[in-house]
Amino acid sequence: MILGAALLRTLLLPAGDLLSTMVFAACLFGITWFERPVAANESRWGRGRSLVAGLMVGAVLLAPVVSGSFSTRPLSAFVPWAAIAALVATLEETSIRGVLYRRLAGEAGTVAAIVGGAAAFALIHLPRYGLGAMPLDAAVGLALGGLRALTGRVLPCAVAHTLADWGAWFWA
Amino acid sequence: MTARRAGLAALALGLIATALLHGHMGSPPVYDGIAVPPEPYRWESPPPNLAAGNKPPLPGDATLPIQNGQVAGGGVQTGDNQVVMYFGPGAFKAPAGATGVKCTIAPDPNPPAPPAGVEIRGNVYRIGCMGEPGGGLVTLASNYHVTLRFPPGAFKEIYYKDGSVWRPLPTLTAPGGDPYASVNAPGFGEYAATAATGAQGPSVFSDLGRYLEFFGILAFVILFGAIAIVQEIRRRRHRAPAPAKRRR
Repeated sequence: MILGAALLRTLLLPAGDLLSTMVFAACLFGITWFERPVAANESRWGRGRSLVAGLMVGAVLLAPVVSGSFSTRPLSAFVPWAAIAALVATLEETSIRGVLYRRLAGEAGTVAAIVGGAAAFALIHLPRYGLGAMPLDAAVGLALGGLRALTGRVLPCAVAHTLADWGAWFWA
Repeated sequence: MTARRAGLAALALGLIATALLHGHMGSPPVYDGIAVPPEPYRWESPPPNLAAGNKPPLPGDATLPIQNGQVAGGGVQTGDNQVVMYFGPGAFKAPAGATGVKCTIAPDPNPPAPPAGVEIRGNVYRIGCMGEPGGGLVTLASNYHVTLRFPPGAFKEIYYKDGSVWRPLPTLTAPGGDPYASVNAPGFGEYAATAATGAQGPSVFSDLGRYLEFFGILAFVILFGAIAIVQEIRRRRHRAPAPAKRRR
């Protein structure tokens, strides 16, 4: 279903970037909502500690980019753009590191959940960034899957992913 | 292996692989939101209201090898991506004795006056190629492709000046309101985005429409997000066990 949402987004691209993004986000929201857990039964880090872990991983993901030249995009336009970026990143994480991870971990174990999530993560970015980006996306997916397994939470993954996305405004 | 150990191993492996693979790409290609807007236009001579934050436009150049007597195909772009040119193999004829061809794109600090009734929008760029070594004349065997970025406001077409007169070229604009236009360039010389003198840019209504679309969908997302959060809180409350009643 997650891959189907990414495919639908690609098919809708001619109708506009905003529309296709919102349909993609709505699909991920639906997946997250209808597959939400009844009760958490794995041990988890506290919220504060998870947040710090997410910020640290996000900073590591951004580190190679920040040496580049700083963009002159106006900060005033950043807020609405960043809100949508954070929303989409969070929904990707609740779908992949939330729903998909739980399913795979329950059926085949943690390693399968991490690897399966990394593969799905690389595949959903394939239409936008092409085959050349797949190894790097798989590596980022592996790191985020590891963060999910380590902390027992989706929150740090969403924070790290959002930070990495926001870097596109300042350095891309 | 416990979940935590597997997680730690995957996290370390993923971050190391990311650092190693980063060299090939600028940033992690994980961004999936709406397109990042382009940086503000870089003016050679900015209008007074934009002078404060303006950064000067950047030139670009590239040297292309000559293979089997033909100039290899390729592309050149300015450092700020405001102009891109590309051409196929054999599009340029190099002078005798040249081993390569150097192509340059440079903003013109003293552009020629535009023709009557036409206003130049943005910078005038000088595009040229010369043989290396020696700086001999490079001639065209066929057209090449030029894409120019134009600043916000009115735009009609790209003009080309081959040294004597300006002339308009059939111009294609990018879809979706992106500020780029392309032409099949017939020669080396000066290129500029133009509009009719006094022409107005996109109307207030078209700008308003874009804002409404953007903020309307954003409001829609926030509204449904809020509803989802409220529903979740109610669901959790409903599921929580009721406090035990005291027996009298």
